Amino acid sequence: MFAPRERDFPRMIVGDIPPSLNRDAVRLAVGDERVIFSIFSDLTVDGRPHDVWLLVTERRAVVFERDPRGETAVRGPHAFEGVEDVRTFQTVGSAFLQFKIRGLYIDIVRYSNARRDEFNRVAAQLLGMLKGEDLDLGALSRPSDSICPDCGLPLTTRGSACPRCTAKQGVFWRSVGLMSPYRGFLFLLLGLMILGVGLDLVPPRLQKLLVDRVLVPRENMDWLPWILLVMLGVATVRGIFGILTGYVSAHVGTRITRELRERLQRKLLQLGVDYYDRHSAGNLMSRVLYDVDFFQQFVAQVAQGFLLNVILVLGIGIILFTMQPLLATLILLPIPLVVVGTMLFWRYILTQQRRTQDSRARMSRSLVGLLSGIRLVKAFGQSRHEEQRFSQSAAYMQQSQRSLQISYRFYNPIMAYVFGFGGLIVWYSGGRQVLGGNLTLGTLMAFFAYLAMFYGPITMMTQFTEWLTGFVAAGQRVFEILDAVPSLSDPDDPRPLPELRGGIELRNVTFGYDPYNPVLKNVSMKIEPGQSVGIVGKSGSGKTTLINLICRFYDVQRGEVLIDGVNVKDIAQDDLRRHIALVLQDPFLFRSTIAANIAYGRPEADERGIIDAARAANAHDFIAKRPIAYDTMLGDGGSGLSGGERQRVSIARALLCRPRVLILDEATSSVDTESEMEIQKALNVLGKERTTIAVAHRLSTLKNADVIYVIDNGKIAENGSHEELMEHNGIYAKLVRIQTELTRLELD
Amino acid sequence: MPSPGQSQGASAPPRVGVQWLTPDSTNIFEGTFSLLHCAVKGDTLYRGVYAVRLFPVRWHDRFISLRHFDENATDVQIGVIENLADFPEGPRELIRSNLSKYYHQQVVKRVYAVECEFGLLFFDVETQRGREQFVIPWQTDRVQDYGKNGKVLIESLGNHYIIPDLAALPPADNRRFTNYIYW
Repeated sequence: MFAPRERDFPRMIVGDIPPSLNRDAVRLAVGDERVIFSIFSDLTVDGRPHDVWLLVTERRAVVFERDPRGETAVRGPHAFEGVEDVRTFQTVGSAFLQFKIRGLYIDIVRYSNARRDEFNRVAAQLLGMLKGEDLDLGALSRPSDSICPDCGLPLTTRGSACPRCTAKQGVFWRSVGLMSPYRGFLFLLLGLMILGVGLDLVPPRLQKLLVDRVLVPRENMDWLPWILLVMLGVATVRGIFGILTGYVSAHVGTRITRELRERLQRKLLQLGVDYYDRHSAGNLMSRVLYDVDFFQQFVAQVAQGFLLNVILVLGIGIILFTMQPLLATLILLPIPLVVVGTMLFWRYILTQQRRTQDSRARMSRSLVGLLSGIRLVKAFGQSRHEEQRFSQSAAYMQQSQRSLQISYRFYNPIMAYVFGFGGLIVWYSGGRQVLGGNLTLGTLMAFFAYLAMFYGPITMMTQFTEWLTGFVAAGQRVFEILDAVPSLSDPDDPRPLPELRGGIELRNVTFGYDPYNPVLKNVSMKIEPGQSVGIVGKSGSGKTTLINLICRFYDVQRGEVLIDGVNVKDIAQDDLRRHIALVLQDPFLFRSTIAANIAYGRPEADERGIIDAARAANAHDFIAKRPIAYDTMLGDGGSGLSGGERQRVSIARALLCRPRVLILDEATSSVDTESEMEIQKALNVLGKERTTIAVAHRLSTLKNADVIYVIDNGKIAENGSHEELMEHNGIYAKLVRIQTELTRLELD
Repeated sequence: MPSPGQSQGASAPPRVGVQWLTPDSTNIFEGTFSLLHCAVKGDTLYRGVYAVRLFPVRWHDRFISLRHFDENATDVQIGVIENLADFPEGPRELIRSNLSKYYHQQVVKRVYAVECEFGLLFFDVETQRGREQFVIPWQTDRVQDYGKNGKVLIESLGNHYIIPDLAALPPADNRRFTNYIYW
């Protein structure tokens, strides 16, 4: 296996220049100034792969581009005097370190995405230098968390365990490992199978006895009924063993698949929100629903198919060799052909299996999209288009399944045909021996009876490729979920949070869903316990991101989020979220009764509590008017309720949790003005007991907030009370004026 | 020299929809610090402009958005060039050169080997800049569709490798690739 391209020299040098650079050339560029650090880049500004070094002194930065012939070009130096800002500018596949000079950002050095981590740290340090802050050399020279420090292999995700250093077994053995809790059952299966095989070997022996000692010599006629009776007894016990084996394997197989599904579901719940940003629901559903079924087949095959046949082949093989070593050797002649054929076929068919499973995932994805957006499809009259789209998925599935099945239907008969050659050779050689008087007819017939029993399992074993490839492909998809590393982890020793006062602080928080494209930039804010806070800003300014960080759906890249002075990373996630209730713009309700939906966060709540919460959220009246009121069963996503009604139920759900922190993310945007006023009144009363953070476009809802923060372009542009912000006459005042004007136009 | 986004003359009326940039209305040139500048008739002079393809898979020289950062460092679109071919050679080359700075993706022409170990795929490929090796986690989210029959591979360190059309690969290369990237 080849190794990924790795450099064998340090990429960040503190206090010196890289050995590859000529000291005289450096002196020409920066004089006698001390080089604080040098950092390697892999691209020139125009995108050619080169060895490029950025050297930073106390007063300037200079870039050396060294081409493959060893010639060096110098760019700069760029004096820090006059630099207004330093930033990284992410493009597609690469990025630039830029200085802002006279209002314009100019490119200093370009680097590939592989160098993003280091250059982001450099940008932060350079910015600090411009502000006169001390350089944090530790931060600069910290090794990258994208590469294993021990073996240099790139990591699956930043900071994850190295797959090479913590090498896991293959899919097959890991799946076998899943069965370890059922060792007892598996040994029972094995015992039953060995006994069963032992019984299978008895009838041909009795057959030989019958032919050679009774039928051909016409002697011992009284043995006949006894021999037949023993045969019947053997067949009966064999049948009972078969039933027992089937029962145990069905029990173990279904238990394993159930536990695996539960494990997958637990894992899916553990994974962070970011995981679902990258994976479609249909794809994940297909893995939990369909791919797991291969594990049951695996158990059934191991129990009743593969192992049984292996034992049969071994047992019968021994008997055949003891009976007639020469004939037994002849039947093995086709084996090398079968082995080579199977190996070649395996490589080919595994891809077909994966494609078939992918086609199921695509089909699920397509259906999930269609069914969840069915109203949209109908509203836009796109039923025909969706039919065509689904038909494409169905065609892909049909093609992949057809290709797979045709492959097996060719492979299996060919293998059986190859094995058949062995039988013909035995007929020829054995027949000659019987005719020559060297072998009794009974022995040859017994040999053929065993031979039929030998080829049966051998032929079956060639078909194991079918389930084994399916199982390996499915296992890989299942383990992909099980091996996924949650982006958020609970601390080893979490700080307990029995009571919460509701103080929230963001300290110099920088965060981006793509870490190299920050949405929030160095944001600091402090919310006192019990305060009512409004958050305002344009779409995409970072309001919801702020909420996501307070709830710790994501971890900040820089800075801290503190709840009652404790970093959220030091609190167990469930403990933290127990104190926070979130009402979203697009509320999600489960397929259950209205009462159960309201009590979702507090299942132990009694009817009185549910009614109180609904009343506070102005939901009680519309619920009470329904024929079966709180017992009304809702459809998926809360269908059966209007948008405003769904919203009020979700507010009631939040209020019932009695959270110390209540977050309303555009929570009243889909209710009518009258309902909004009612909800607002309730929230004002309830808000006195808790910290309330409300994100709203409708500014009238925030008028009574203690503090309003205006977010613009990922930064806090303004903050203060409504009156203070109006007096300030900035962004907020402008937004209020626009909304007032719009309302006036609507009224006109 | 006005600051980015500042108007040279009287303030322009607020625009509705996209501003389509045509050779008649748009002067594109290299200005301060060799940065791309763009003056739009009836609008203003924009400095430090950069270009982005709006349909990078379908069109390379059409539907190009010209953008800049305003005084609040907010990324703002100036307008869209529908067809770069309509512009004279000088501005056309300036835009193309700017686009080449925005996109840094390796186009895979051959796939010599794909090996799987530790849940990682080790690729040995030929790109437009020569033979390269890279590693991607064997996960469905690391290889995404690129147009109807192409794929974009996002390697472990974040670099992008594109196969614009899988059918255009030699059959053996295609088999090597689809053996693992089956989705």
